[in-house]
Amino acid sequence: MNVTEEQALVWLCGCTPFDYRERAHLLRAAKSPKALFEDFEKFSSALIKKGESGVYNKQRGSRETDLARLLADMERKGRFAVTVCDADYPESLKAIPEPPFVLFGEGRRELLKKRKFCIVGSRITPAWAEKIGKQISEELSERFAIVSGLAEGGDSAAIAGALGSGNLICVLPTGLDNCYPASHAALKERVKKNGLLLSEYPMSESAKKYSFHARNRILAGLSEGVLVLSAGLKSGTLITANAALDYGREVFALPHNVGVAQGAGCNMLIQKGAGLVTSAEDIFWSFGIESAPREQAALPPEEEKMLAVLRENGELHVAELAEKAGMKIYEAAAVLSALELKNLAVKSGGNKYAAV
Amino acid sequence: MIAKVICYALNGLEGVPVEVETDVNKGVPAYEMVGLPDTAVKESKERVRSALKNSGMLFPMNKITVNFAPADIKKEGASFDLAIAVSLLKASEQLVGADVKDTVFLGELALNGDLRPVSGMLPILISAKGHGFTRFIIPAGNAKEARFMGGAEIFPAKTLAEVVRHLVGIAPISPLETCKFTVNANSKSSADMKFVKGQPVARRAIEIAVAGGHNVLLMGPPGTGKTMIARCLPTVMPDLNFEEALEITKIHSVAGVLGEEGIVSVRPFRTPHHTATTVSMCGGGNRVVHPGEISLAHGGVLFLDELPEYKRTTLEALRQPLEDGVITVSRAGGTFTFPARFMLCASMNPCPCGNYGSTDRTCSCTPAEIRRYRKKVSGPLLDRIDLQVEVDNVSYDELTSTETQESSASIKERVNGARRIQHHRFEGSNINTNAEMGERELSEFCRLSADGDKILRSAFERMALSARARARIVKVARTIADLDNSEEILPKHVFEAVSYRIYDKIG
Repeated sequence: MNVTEEQALVWLCGCTPFDYRERAHLLRAAKSPKALFEDFEKFSSALIKKGESGVYNKQRGSRETDLARLLADMERKGRFAVTVCDADYPESLKAIPEPPFVLFGEGRRELLKKRKFCIVGSRITPAWAEKIGKQISEELSERFAIVSGLAEGGDSAAIAGALGSGNLICVLPTGLDNCYPASHAALKERVKKNGLLLSEYPMSESAKKYSFHARNRILAGLSEGVLVLSAGLKSGTLITANAALDYGREVFALPHNVGVAQGAGCNMLIQKGAGLVTSAEDIFWSFGIESAPREQAALPPEEEKMLAVLRENGELHVAELAEKAGMKIYEAAAVLSALELKNLAVKSGGNKYAAV
Repeated sequence: MIAKVICYALNGLEGVPVEVETDVNKGVPAYEMVGLPDTAVKESKERVRSALKNSGMLFPMNKITVNFAPADIKKEGASFDLAIAVSLLKASEQLVGADVKDTVFLGELALNGDLRPVSGMLPILISAKGHGFTRFIIPAGNAKEARFMGGAEIFPAKTLAEVVRHLVGIAPISPLETCKFTVNANSKSSADMKFVKGQPVARRAIEIAVAGGHNVLLMGPPGTGKTMIARCLPTVMPDLNFEEALEITKIHSVAGVLGEEGIVSVRPFRTPHHTATTVSMCGGGNRVVHPGEISLAHGGVLFLDELPEYKRTTLEALRQPLEDGVITVSRAGGTFTFPARFMLCASMNPCPCGNYGSTDRTCSCTPAEIRRYRKKVSGPLLDRIDLQVEVDNVSYDELTSTETQESSASIKERVNGARRIQHHRFEGSNINTNAEMGERELSEFCRLSADGDKILRSAFERMALSARARARIVKVARTIADLDNSEEILPKHVFEAVSYRIYDKIG
């Protein structure tokens, strides 16, 4: 069997147990992926002696079988591999210091050519931030492919917003066969159907401690900009934001109340110069994209009044809102419930409401 | 000579007449009992023998046969003692001239001849009265319970000797005077809504829940007063009427938990601990089937504190009684149906650490942990809880404020008003409250305006509600409209009803 450069790369990233550093080391030594595939024994001996991550000392015949099996498996499941040699490998990703040699994908491959924007948030994201994140994601996805992880909280909000249009790329910290968190298996299926799933790992690889960190560099690398919905001071979300800064991408953050732990990271980013975002327009504006203003349906007077109170005061308890709007508490609950169904307000824990 | 005396056995909540026949024959002294008596009944032999001797009576040294008829039901307990003793006296001709034919004898004997109270007195008396018996001799210890039943001659006796003197006419016992039922006569509870600080949302939810007979879930951080609010529930509920009180008393009497007063005059409030078993909750037992907590809560409140801590099977067992208002327990000894129309009030923390949604403390739970915690309560059970509200963290200022809140009595007035509307609406059917409405009533009484329907549709799509949850929202909206004295269900009523389904939104 005659192996192409691309196939040799797919073999290296899809069939061997090495980590990124080892693969890079092997490729440097062999000069080309094809040469590495042909004379693997020659280059690998040094590594195998060191006995780093796993031993792969298969003969050329076995290597060929491995590769053929992987390719057949991908064919059967409708998956594809984008290598650095391919034309549709995203340029922006090539520009980062350690670009993945191969991205395995499933879903709409054409999304790779679209402009991409990343929306992330920590797993514990306040309800209002999720709601705004979802709305921004929905609006941005008209112009961008939204890039995100598959985690709970902020990532889920971004996914929920972009699932409708299908302009959505999720980068997994695992192989394409697996799902982390396992509870998001159904969500993963929907992303696969509407959008695109990407992973740099062999199909059956499970999540490791370092794979989240490594995945975050791809999130930032793929995108022109990153919006952080929520982040604590030690949140993994900040890794994505910092990577984006390193790669020279735009960083945006939602402002949070002072003293709220889940928002401290966002406020710190803004302090350091990240763009303060309150709506999708802010992002469109900074990319020079003109967006059509959205029209607002007329509201009944009491809802208008409550909305004004909400916008003036931020997050408040229903009793305080009722007092400020001059209503009875149960009347206020009904009005707030109406605003919530119209996507203008959001209920957070402890009977508190905030405007969106 | 053969003597026949009437006694009663308990079968669930029903009394069944049992004839005690005694024959005293010449022959080798012997003492036989036939007719399916259980161990406790057989043991009465020794109690009766000693009681007779210590009351100054003779125990006949002949061949004695005691028969219980009908023979096909199992006789249990010690309540036959008095009937056996009386029939023995009659058969051995020690009660000359006494008429024992139409009198029901109930009571357990002590060795010295004292009469001890038996459980299930009221249900037995009510059944016996229904069977046409109007004269009863009962232990004085059961007098308090029995005096609420009018239209019968009830003679309370302290000892067997007293019974004998009464029967032969030496010293007749004066019959019990019927006592009038006074509601809340034995209220010991100091709970009142006026002591609940803050909590405007929960207060309103409680009012709606009671007005429409809805179940309610209180969700909030530990120590915010969920239990205190729940304890106030009975104080807001409409007063018991005599029929309800009798029905509740029957259950409590059978279970042997009836208090000193002899009748339940306040709505029961039951709080089984979360280690409760399914049997203790629903009723059961090996031979004697006892009513469970849900039947003891009949007509009142069943409060389940820390709902997710209860065993899953125990909670699932509540689903059917919540719909039907009765529980049917089947055992080898028979099938028993106990009433179980209670209001369910449950409380839980919003997350394992309890701080989710709190202003001053941070929640340390991951979304997965929160989901796991909430999943412990099954969807079908939650679907049956119409109102789900968050209880606020009370601030120090609110705790120490001397400003008194609205009292239970004034809330109760509004509740009574809403109940009157419902009473009028469901006249002639066996439905009492909005919560009990079925599909037919929903389409008849809860027609939504076009606007209302639009709201519900958008809520339905946004919150991914189940069909049952939709019906529940409509029922709550109906109750809110009733409290508002509004014939129609207006959009604001629907909006408010939707706001009480937090579990669907964040669960």
